[in-house]
Amino acid sequence: MRASILKQNRFLIASVQGSMSDADLVQLRDELGSGVRRHRSTGVIIDVTMLDVMDSFAVRTLRGIAQMVKLLGAECVVVGIQPEVAFSMVQLGLTLEGMTTALDLEDGLDALQARAPVRSSLL
Amino acid sequence: MSGSGEVVVPIRADVDVVIARQKIRALVLDLRFSGSELTLIATAISEVARNIVSYAGSGEIVMRVVRQGQRRGITVVARDQGPGIADIERAMEDGFSTSRGLGLGLPGSKRLMDEFELVSEVGKGTEITMTKWER
Amino acid sequence: MAKQPSVGAGISEQELVQRKAFLEFRDDDLANLMSINDVARQYADSMIEDFYKHLLSFEETSAFFHDPQVLERVKRAQQQYFLRLTQGNYDLAYAENRLNIGAIHERIGLPVKAYLGMYNYYLRAVATRLVEAYRDAPKQAWTGFLSLMKLTFLDIGLAIDTYINSRERTIREQQEAIQELPTPVLPFREGMLLVPIIGLIDSQRARLLTEQLLSAVRANRAKVVVMDITGVQAVDSKVGNHLVQTVEAARLMGATVILAGVSPEIAQTMVTVGIELGRMTTVGDLQSGIERAEELLGYTVTRTRTRSQAT
Repeated sequence: MRASILKQNRFLIASVQGSMSDADLVQLRDELGSGVRRHRSTGVIIDVTMLDVMDSFAVRTLRGIAQMVKLLGAECVVVGIQPEVAFSMVQLGLTLEGMTTALDLEDGLDALQARAPVRSSLL
Repeated sequence: MSGSGEVVVPIRADVDVVIARQKIRALVLDLRFSGSELTLIATAISEVARNIVSYAGSGEIVMRVVRQGQRRGITVVARDQGPGIADIERAMEDGFSTSRGLGLGLPGSKRLMDEFELVSEVGKGTEITMTKWER
Repeated sequence: MAKQPSVGAGISEQELVQRKAFLEFRDDDLANLMSINDVARQYADSMIEDFYKHLLSFEETSAFFHDPQVLERVKRAQQQYFLRLTQGNYDLAYAENRLNIGAIHERIGLPVKAYLGMYNYYLRAVATRLVEAYRDAPKQAWTGFLSLMKLTFLDIGLAIDTYINSRERTIREQQEAIQELPTPVLPFREGMLLVPIIGLIDSQRARLLTEQLLSAVRANRAKVVVMDITGVQAVDSKVGNHLVQTVEAARLMGATVILAGVSPEIAQTMVTVGIELGRMTTVGDLQSGIERAEELLGYTVTRTRTRSQAT
């Protein structure tokens, strides 16, 4: 199962599916990287609504993606962490420190609007 | 699935981690676990299965329903014949907020479950037994 | 052939075998019991009469048999029970039947001591009659009696366990009811939740609270949660850690938690215990908590009428 990446104006939205393999995640990271460059995106949303479990590996991977996105000059917001998943994560001591989180896509887009740098656009 | 109601999941690659998570959900359908508790169990399994893939290369996860009087629970055994853990104390070091210890997610998994036992010998392998009971 | 156990009761084949082994109930006991079956059938009626006369002479037990119809029914059921004891075939079905009888007694509220007292009377009455019936073969009376004792103790064990299971289930239901006494999670303004906590928080309650809070964040699309602990006497390190975890979990869902009503004592405890306060917003009282939340959400509250103008 892969992730789908949608473009919404200057933002990219990546929805992570429940059962992504390591290879899928690497592919996601690469596609986001090239996507941000190609579209000159100013923000990326990673939607993990479909993830039923976030273990330390998932967190490390997300962190890596967020760091890459930031290095490419875009903001990154993680959205859609479910209540049970949030609960398990804090029990495991995984806090996504340093990363911006929002409840869902709507709030995530608001957060990006507020944070993402404004770029001049060519007509 | 063996006769005694055990489910055995061979762990050889990251895709098997996902399979193990799916299987546990199917196994505990009858038990009185809340959505949160299910996620906790699946997360703990994910952690230990992931360790098998990363450090031992291959191993297995065995899950079964257990009873203690009228109370039921689930026991998960994660075993491998990998390199083993040299410094068990350090692996089990607990830091509530940061990821201290060896980054094996073991103290976290211990927190997620009710019972947790780890046996490991360098050069021989590791076996983790964890149990969660209905409330 | 395995039967479905009745609700709440339930015994496995293996457990029954273990119980019999522990009581040393073996095949020769089976034979002994069946050999005294004829004698048992002879005295069944007189035993029942004496038995219930005894029960009815005590206020505590007669209370259960005021209704003559009930009394008749129970007498008949008891007679079946006595006869069954010496009919052999003490299999899983037999055990489950005993569990059911225990459940019935527990449901009508018969105290355990009365239940045990009844068995005591029965065994003594049987012993007397066996001695009489086997005057010429006293050893047979004795071995018969010993086997009967093993069997009745098997029955008592099963029945007592039913009592215990029943009590445990009641306790569990009461605990669940208590837990469901909600710590209400109240939508206060759009995007805000108010959680007033009162009384003692233990680990279990804290855990439940966290789950409810996180669910409510999703359901109400809350961005700020004001958790008011004005009504909480004390917080130990475990609960303190639960609070920190709640704050962090809420943050993962995009919500900020403001801890309001932190008393000086609790503040001291948290400092002593080393709870990381860096990530938490804490204020001394509920009003400050609400004001802080409103600020975060962009609300401004303006007073347009004085106190004396309010009706």
